Order: sequence, then C-alpha cells, then structure tokens
Amino acid sequence: MTPQLPVLAIKGLRKNFGDLQVLGGIDLTVERGEVVGLIGASGSGKSTLLRCINRLETPSDGAIFLGGEMVGGLGPNLSRRLRDQRRQMAMVFQNFNLWPHRTALENVIEGPVVVQKVPRNTAIARGRAMLRKVGLADREAYYPSQLSGGQQQRVAIARALALEPTLLLFDEPTSALDPELVGEVLRVMTDLAAEGRTMIVVTHEMAFAHEVCTKVVYLENGLVRDAGPPGHIFSTANTATAQFLARYLGQKTSDTPGMTL
Amino acid sequence: MNYEWNFAALARFRGLFLQALGTTISLSIAVIITGMALGLLLTMIRRSSIPVLPWVAVGFIEVVRAVPPLVLLVWIYYCMPILLGFGLSNYHTTVLSLSLYSAAFYSEIFRAGAQSIDRGLVEAGLSVGMNRVHILGRIVGPLAFQRVLPPFVSQCILVIKNTSLGGYIAVQDLLYQGQRVTNEIFRPLEVLTTVALIYIALIVPLSVFANIHEKAYRKRYGL
Ligand SMILES: Nc1ncnc2c1ncn2[C@@H]1O[C@H](COP(=O)(O)OP(=O)(O)OP(=O)(O)O)[C@@H](O)[C@H]1O
Ligand SMILES: [Mg+2]
Repeated sequence: MTPQLPVLAIKGLRKNFGDLQVLGGIDLTVERGEVVGLIGASGSGKSTLLRCINRLETPSDGAIFLGGEMVGGLGPNLSRRLRDQRRQMAMVFQNFNLWPHRTALENVIEGPVVVQKVPRNTAIARGRAMLRKVGLADREAYYPSQLSGGQQQRVAIARALALEPTLLLFDEPTSALDPELVGEVLRVMTDLAAEGRTMIVVTHEMAFAHEVCTKVVYLENGLVRDAGPPGHIFSTANTATAQFLARYLGQKTSDTPGMTL
Repeated sequence: MNYEWNFAALARFRGLFLQALGTTISLSIAVIITGMALGLLLTMIRRSSIPVLPWVAVGFIEVVRAVPPLVLLVWIYYCMPILLGFGLSNYHTTVLSLSLYSAAFYSEIFRAGAQSIDRGLVEAGLSVGMNRVHILGRIVGPLAFQRVLPPFVSQCILVIKNTSLGGYIAVQDLLYQGQRVTNEIFRPLEVLTTVALIYIALIVPLSVFANIHEKAYRKRYGL
C-alpha cells in the first residue's frame, strides 16, 4: 500500500432502505494512525455507515476506497477481493458476536486459519499473542459463555487484531456491557490507539471520544454535521454539537460509567 | 391368562432374524443419508434467491408431508415404471420413497436450525473474510445441527421404524421376515415381541445418545 494514500476515503456515500434515506451523502477521509470517533443521536446512521464501509450493507450510491482501492469495485475476482478487503477492515460488534462453539483461542485463529490459510501453529502463536495483548492469556480455552461481557469483547478485539487489519471498525463496543466492565474494554482500545492503529469507533463514550480520538465526526440525520479534532467538537462554543451533547449528557449524568484511562 | 410363551421355538430362525436386522439397518442408513442430503438440498433451494425454484421446493415439501408414507411407497412402486419407463428393485424403491418422504421433514428441521442462528454470528464470519461455504460449514452448519439434534434424532427414529413399510413390497426387513416366521410356527406373540425388542434395542441407544449429547453441548457452549 502506498503510504501517502489515506487508509480510507469515503466519497458521496448514500444508503436508502426502501424509501428511507439513512445516509445522505457522506464524505470522510481517514489517515493512517487516526482514531475517528463517530458520534450522533440514535438512528442518525452511525452503524449503517460502519456497515457500508465493510459491505455488510451495500451502499446505494458513492464509493469507498481502502488504501486507494475501491471496496467491492468492479473487476475480476470481485468477491474474493471484497473478502480480503473485509479482512483488512476488521470489525468489532456491539454484541461481540463470538462463535459460541469455539473457545476464545479458536475464535481468534479461525480467520487466519480458514481465510488467510496461515499454518495452524503460526496462527496459534499469533492468536496467543493477541489474547495476551487484551489481557486474556489465561482464558484461551474458555468458551464465550464462560466469559464476562468485557472479556468476550476483548476476545472479539483479539479476533479482529489477528487478521492483521489496516483499519479497525468498532460499533459501540461497550454499549452492551455492564458499567463496571466498560473500563477494561476502553483501556484495551486506548492501548491500540497509542500503538498508532487506525480506528473508527462509533461510541457514546464521550470521555473516550474526547481523550483518545484524534478526530470526532458528528452525524445528524445521515449527514456529517461537523468534524474535527475533539477540542473543536467538544468546545462549548460549537453550536452544531452543543445541543446534541447537552441533551445527551443531560440524560446520562446519573449513570455515566467512570472511565479511568 | 395362561398363554404358554415359547421363545425357544424361534431359536432356529436366529440367522434369518440377523439377516433381516441387517436389511433394516442398511435400509435405515441409506434412507437417512439420502434423505438428509435431499433435505439439505431442499433447504438450500428454499433459501436461494433463484426465481421460482424456492416455490417448487415448498410445493414438494407440502405435498410429500401430506401423503402417508405407505401411499407414497406403493404409488412410486406402481407408477414409476409407467411414468418413467423403468423401475427400481423393491429395496431401492423403498430407499427412494422413504428418502423423499423424510427429506421433507429433514428440510424443515434444517431450516428451523438455520433460522435459529443469530445473524450477528454470520456477520462476524463475513467480517473476517469468510465465504459462503466457510460460513455454512463452520458456523451455521455446526451450530444449527447442535440446536436441532433432538428433532433430528426423532426423525431418524421415524425413518428406522418406517423401513418396516418396505415389507409391503416384499423387502425382507425385520417385520416382513417376522411375519414369515409367524406363518411357519404360528407363534405371532413371541415373534412380534422379539421384533419389537430388536427395534427397541436399535432405537433406545440413539435417544440416549441424543439426550447426553444435547446436555453436554448446552452446558459447554451455554446455548
Ligand atoms: N436493515 C435495515 N432496514 C431498514 N431500516 C434500517 C435498517 N438498518 C437500519 N435502518 C434504519 O436506519 C436508520 C439508522 O440506523 P443505524 O442503526 O445506522 O443508526 P445508529 O446511528 O447506529 O443508531 P444507534 O445509536 O441506535 O445504534 C434507523 O432509522 C434505522 O431504523
Ligand atoms: Mg448503531
């Protein structure tokens, strides 16, 4: 991949579900090492945007480029190329989506072994290293049902990392967690950001967006209403996001889980 | 109630019963494998986006489910040579008709299994770059199968019992040979008791296995 190209470039992305327009023309560029926080009200299209990026949804219009190469673009070997592009944009889901019939380690090595055809022993070594990174070296033989939500999400992060992706996509990775488990997942994500990983994070954790993200994108009704460094987005002078944040933080003041970084 | 049971009279037919048991087992295995394969095919056709074909599959399933298996068997036995110009041996006619019959039920079972799998698990597969074959073979298939194991085993048990219908077209299975022995020694109670015990010996371990397996995986995977 050419270093000067952005990791991800989204141009004029639209998505309709029938008559309902969910994304109304999104332009967004993500440079190497950037941690992009995607915020916005429920229903504003954050998940849909993330799912369009790795083609779990097919965009209605527009184009997405991963390292200069069009995602799902025309040409020979279309579906194989798309599968490899998906692998490069590893996704971490709100509900973890770990495979319940595989242990933690098996979940992590499944992609490398089955998709990338990495020899099993190499994949196991890689998988163990990833589990160690998320602090779960001692849980490799556990099934998802035997792990807490926070541990499951960390396994899911290890599974994503094992694919050696160029971009990590997170869709509200802590929303399904009990408040006391949020911190452990955010800490892992903070470490990844510090390593210089390129990430897009849909989040309601404003403290995380403020402190870890290098860029925050505020989505409203399927459009980028404002984007910039967190200092800009979260400045009280910013009328675009101020209302949203006031409403949002007003709702959450009582139960915002303490985030200790 | 002073019937004198005499199982000893059956002793000289031991070889015959063993052979008949072999026929029942081989019929059952052939029908289960063919029925499962056809059932899987029907399920895939029903879930495909090809036009018209899903409806053909649904129609086939509805029709076959509405017909008693014996009617289907005898109908195929008499009509296939007329309609197609060739027939199969009695044994293979039994395999074919019972396979078609059970395929409709296997298909319903597989469909229910596939539908019970959380879409997110499939999306996780897609997101690591898996293709359809990987997702079916490594995620949806194994999970769905574990989930539907109890109805699946029930259906296999029905298949084993339904193989006794083959006797109507002179396939020498357990029940058919039992009736022949009865005609020879006039001991229907002993013969039928023996036949029933053999079926029980065949089927009960299957049920037990299914129960143990189900408990084990539920516990392990927390499903
Ligand atoms: N598969 C679908 N079919 C129809 N409508 C959909 C589908 N997926 C999403 N939508 C609609 O698109 C809109 C945006 O949904 P999306 O999930 O992207 O919002 P979001 O910003 O992620 O919200 P949340 O914060 O609640 O997760 C919603 O109105 C939703 O109902
Ligand atoms: Mg969402």
